[in-house]
Amino acid sequence: MSSGDGHSPPGRARFVTLVVLLAATLAIAVLLSLATGAVRVSPAAILAALFQHHPLTATQQIILLQIRLPRVLAAAVVGAALAISGLMFQGLFRNPMADPYVIGASGGAVLGASVGIYFFSQLSAFGFSATALLAFAGSVATMAVVYSLARANGKTHVITLLLAGFAVSTMLAYSSYFFELLDSNGGSGNRILLSWLHGVIGIPRWTQLSVTAALLLLATMVAVPLMRQLNTLALGDEYAHQLGLRVEYTRVGIILTGSLLTAAAVSLGGLISFAGLIVPHIARLILGPDHVRLLPVTALAGAIFLVVADTLARSVFAPTEIPVGIVMAFIGGPFFLYLLRKTKRSYAL
Amino acid sequence: MNPLLRFADVSFGYGDGDAIQSASFDLQEGSCTALIGPNGVGKTTLLRLAAGVLRCTSGSVLLNDEPLNRLAIRTVARTIAFVPQQLDLPFQFTVRQVVEQGRTPYLGLLRGPMRDDRIAVDRALKLADVSVLQHRIFNELSGGERQRVKIALGLAQQPKLLLLDEPTQNLDIGRQIELIDLLHFLRAEGITIFASIHDIQLIEGNFSTVLLLSRDTPLVSGTPADVLKPSILEKAFNCPPRRHPLLLERTQSRGKRAG
Repeated sequence: MSSGDGHSPPGRARFVTLVVLLAATLAIAVLLSLATGAVRVSPAAILAALFQHHPLTATQQIILLQIRLPRVLAAAVVGAALAISGLMFQGLFRNPMADPYVIGASGGAVLGASVGIYFFSQLSAFGFSATALLAFAGSVATMAVVYSLARANGKTHVITLLLAGFAVSTMLAYSSYFFELLDSNGGSGNRILLSWLHGVIGIPRWTQLSVTAALLLLATMVAVPLMRQLNTLALGDEYAHQLGLRVEYTRVGIILTGSLLTAAAVSLGGLISFAGLIVPHIARLILGPDHVRLLPVTALAGAIFLVVADTLARSVFAPTEIPVGIVMAFIGGPFFLYLLRKTKRSYAL
Repeated sequence: MNPLLRFADVSFGYGDGDAIQSASFDLQEGSCTALIGPNGVGKTTLLRLAAGVLRCTSGSVLLNDEPLNRLAIRTVARTIAFVPQQLDLPFQFTVRQVVEQGRTPYLGLLRGPMRDDRIAVDRALKLADVSVLQHRIFNELSGGERQRVKIALGLAQQPKLLLLDEPTQNLDIGRQIELIDLLHFLRAEGITIFASIHDIQLIEGNFSTVLLLSRDTPLVSGTPADVLKPSILEKAFNCPPRRHPLLLERTQSRGKRAG
């Protein structure tokens, strides 16, 4: 995207450098993550297999292609999706505290998905499982409710927003537990739901992974024009309207795209906190608030963040795996509090 | 000559009675009009109606003889710029990034800023004399600097009509004069100006027309000399005769001139 609104050339150079650096870091993170696990395959061997036609053993191939690669890519997709939706919601609510987890979109997606898991597990439409569609519906509906609750007189009140998001996501989380109790035979539904609530990135089938990755790509493309509108929206609804922006369209576009991304992330990794909050936050500290430039940077940084966190989740206590949701809470929580402390001046209400 | 903007019997209410009651007036192209009136009488509301941000409940606001609410909002935004009192930014945008938002009505869904837009932004920054501030963070500027940046944002829209809500409010007297000079300069550039002004002493010599909005009486419109008479101001502002230095001074100077 070259529409970086005419900053001075040094700003542009810095942006391009950052994107290249992040892309390289993501490639390295994926490679190291692929190499990590019970069966060690050295990064050099993987690179040799890719570029110099030194084939790996059959076992190594199965481990890499069937188990590790889908999971590492899933982590990357989840991270990018969460980070972009966090960026979108922060822009829409004009508040750096908003993220899909905090404002309840993730909770809505999990509730929708749990309805799908328990009641419509066999159904599918348009190539998507009922579970995925219900996750999206749950996410959009929650966003619409929280947003309308938090708005008064054309303004979004921060405290109301956070409280509404908290209340709604708590209700949704406990509704999901309720479904768990209803499932009398204690079957696979419970296991799936539990791993979603903890935030576990599973090993997706290739079809599921490619559909979700395609969704991420589509949503990112839709997001490009929305990003410039978010810059205008930062001036406030009335100002944006006065500048000729159709604020309602922008709002609906952001809510739909952000919810789609959240649902995509939830369908692969369940409830994962902090990624959508921290990544845009740090990116903004480095790059400034221009959403057009933040989009590729947050997407890449989010992917890196989650690939690293998921690698830690499956390797630190190996052979026991811990849910990546827990890693994120342990790393992300304190880190976010540190950021909050460091920059608290900017959040004076 | 047809007016640039015409209020034809415009009324507007927020729900509890009419905030604006059948207001009618014209803004001629090239004029520089000050809007005065007591606190809470609806000056900001009137400006927001003129900007098309609010829609009147009866009557019509006409821009070049066309009803404002029938024009596309992008068309309006290319002709009228509104500089509100407050601009609160949630993030640390630079001055340039803020002013670039003025190009919004010229951009499409897939058409990002081009060379023309950069030129317009440069010119707006220069006109409002904030070029040197362009890489500063907006939220860290002083009140006077912010005021000029908001005006630059409006100028980036390349408007024919610039609406300003209390542009001199919270400015020290030096910054007030700088701002008035800027308005003179913009008027010379061919921009029609309509500003609500709290400091009545700034009007004479700086504005061509005064519009007095007061409660329960029709709008009064005229030259500063016609409208800014103690008898009219005392009544409109419900201020006891000669208690305010402004009223007192004027009475004396007029007395001297008459004698």
